[in-house]
Amino acid sequence: MIFRKDDIIVNTISRILIPFIQLYALYVIMHGHYSPGGGFQGGVILGASMVLLLLTRGYDEAKYKFPEQIATLFSSVGVLIYAGIGLLCLFVLGNFLDYGKLAALLNVTPSHARSLGILGVEIGVGFAVMSVMYSIFLDISTGGVLPEDEEE
Amino acid sequence: MEVTLLIQAADESFRLLEKARGQAVDLLNTAVKLTSDTRSVEERKLQTFLSSGQDAKSGFQNFIATFVMLFAFWALLSGKFDLFHLSLGFICTFVISYLSHDLLFANVRVGDIRVIIQRFIIYMPWLMYQIITANVHVAYLALSPKMPIDPQVMRFKTKLESDISWVTLANSITLTPGTITMDIHEGEFVVHALSQKVADDLDTGEMEDRVAHVFMEADHIYIQDVLDVARIFGEMRRAA
Amino acid sequence: MNGFLLTVGLILCFLVLLVLYRVVFGPGVFNRIAAISAVGTKTLIILLIMGYLYNRVEMFVDISMVYALLNFIGCIAAAKYLEMGKE
Repeated sequence: MIFRKDDIIVNTISRILIPFIQLYALYVIMHGHYSPGGGFQGGVILGASMVLLLLTRGYDEAKYKFPEQIATLFSSVGVLIYAGIGLLCLFVLGNFLDYGKLAALLNVTPSHARSLGILGVEIGVGFAVMSVMYSIFLDISTGGVLPEDEEE
Repeated sequence: MEVTLLIQAADESFRLLEKARGQAVDLLNTAVKLTSDTRSVEERKLQTFLSSGQDAKSGFQNFIATFVMLFAFWALLSGKFDLFHLSLGFICTFVISYLSHDLLFANVRVGDIRVIIQRFIIYMPWLMYQIITANVHVAYLALSPKMPIDPQVMRFKTKLESDISWVTLANSITLTPGTITMDIHEGEFVVHALSQKVADDLDTGEMEDRVAHVFMEADHIYIQDVLDVARIFGEMRRAA
Repeated sequence: MNGFLLTVGLILCFLVLLVLYRVVFGPGVFNRIAAISAVGTKTLIILLIMGYLYNRVEMFVDISMVYALLNFIGCIAAAKYLEMGKE
């Protein structure tokens, strides 16, 4: 179990860095079709920022920002976004994840629709990866027993 | 005859002493009253300043500051300024600054942020110069066959006040080769130094003074002290 | 300019090999952590030099930033782990 330490240097530096890391992660997710990166990499960076928060503040404070239930919910929502876009392509008579067919639905050119579809899938993947990384780290660091589970 | 003269002289001197003592007590009282007046005024000013900071912390201003900063960072990263990417950036920045607006500006600042940034930019070249000279020294230590090192742990109390200036000083010390900040405990720095020369360089306290100058610490206290003393002196001169 | 950058990159690769000695044989875990962090810093610079050589700096800047961030977080995580193990 990780508790908060009154280490001034690490606490202050991570306090300043965490918003920038999160924004950078979202940048990597959103610009995945122009530059290196994408859903998985951005999700890993976002998860790393959450892990940094957990490491420096301890779970007692981190749970107000990102509790474990929300992490579980987000991992499911990410997979839902991913699979939902794939199934949507099936419904408009394409293959699974065949974004080009979404052009009729979104009323744009096929190439633009492909770009938008990839963006949506990457957001889903990013959500899922972020919350799964966070959950795995939390489970390993606590041995699977969270404080609120112990109280019950 | 002589005895009465002596008694008279003693009485006279006692009266004089009494008078002088009364004057001194009056003077001291006025001085104390003046300082306490100025102190209370200063404290009230500081209190309003701090409470406004507290309000801003819980309120909207902090969020806006974080938002502007992060959006500038996004524009720097993205480099695409069409409507689609700007709106994406707007949404992302909004979400992040909503989630972590209490992180970036967590403590109440003492000085003006613009002056701090300006002074920090001036501080950087000096730090670079320090790093380069210390680098040459450490390279000499490592390459000379006798290896004239003298590792030591030194402790010193700092005069800095806020945690951000502590962190800046600690990171400056760590960035300079040869010295590493091991811990900060209640304002006491524990620094490991590789040789006597770098320890002496750190002991002069120039880096600490410069960091205090960057974060506008110590100079406002100094000015306040001068003003206090000037008022007390003026009062004393008028009484005299 | 390219030749200069290539030379600097090769020298840095050689220095990484030197530091790798500390990672493998270094006595104690603290030497290893410090050495890994040094390797990470040098890798970052090598990535940037590669970006200049391939004329794709904007791409490699992103990668090197991710590398720096993960290096930082990994260092803190290792330090925390050791700190907990001591108690």
